[in-house]
Amino acid sequence: MTSSARTPVSALPRGHAFTPARFTPQAADVRAYLDAVGDGTSYGDAVPPLAALALGLAALQEQLSLPAGSLHTGQEVEQLAVMRAGEDLTLSGEIAQRSERQGLVISVIALEVAAAGAPALRARTTILVPAASS
Amino acid sequence: MSGDGAIAPVVRALSQEQLQAYADAAHDHNPIHIAPAFAAVTPFGGTIAHGMLVLATIGEMMHAALGERWLSSGRLKVRFRAPARPGDTVTATADAAGDGAYAVRCCNDRGDVLIEGRASVGA
Repeated sequence: MTSSARTPVSALPRGHAFTPARFTPQAADVRAYLDAVGDGTSYGDAVPPLAALALGLAALQEQLSLPAGSLHTGQEVEQLAVMRAGEDLTLSGEIAQRSERQGLVISVIALEVAAAGAPALRARTTILVPAASS
Repeated sequence: MSGDGAIAPVVRALSQEQLQAYADAAHDHNPIHIAPAFAAVTPFGGTIAHGMLVLATIGEMMHAALGERWLSSGRLKVRFRAPARPGDTVTATADAAGDGAYAVRCCNDRGDVLIEGRASVGA
């Protein structure tokens, strides 16, 4: 199953696969991210794991909407290789879990970022959405 | 460094301007983060920081301690326990967990735990 445009995350069933999204984080994108989080570290041309994840999630938002009231409640990240600014990356993912409890939808999005066809980062993002927002 | 070395904390003050900058950089414009009028009538009573913005303090801290290994094989698993708000000062800390991993935590200046979990690097 692939996504239609901008579907609320809470409306997506378990197993829903996102259309792979290509993105290329440029040095300016990484710098803007680091400036925003207040990190003055020099990473050279490397893209820090959480920057790659944040920019990847941004690419995913072309397919996925987070209704107002959505909360990010959990995050797992496993870095598998260094990613470099200017590198073409592909984000793929699916709804790995979905449950409803006490008026809330809990969705777990499993993500993988690949560089040159090889996995570079895996992540699981847990989002909680009020069911009325679905 | 394995999981038994001291790691310097990262301390950061949060502002509404920073939330807006993060929203722009990460393309995450959820109004709970950037629209004070909207956020004021939610159960939070005001804007809250993006979880990933606060989590970045832990990423920065682990990179400072572990260097290139964090960039090539860092692992992080956390729960977001409570929101951070503009005006908060957040502090990320790490304690050796005894198995090559670190128990990581981020607290606000009132001592509330905002994020907690584990961090490590691959073998």
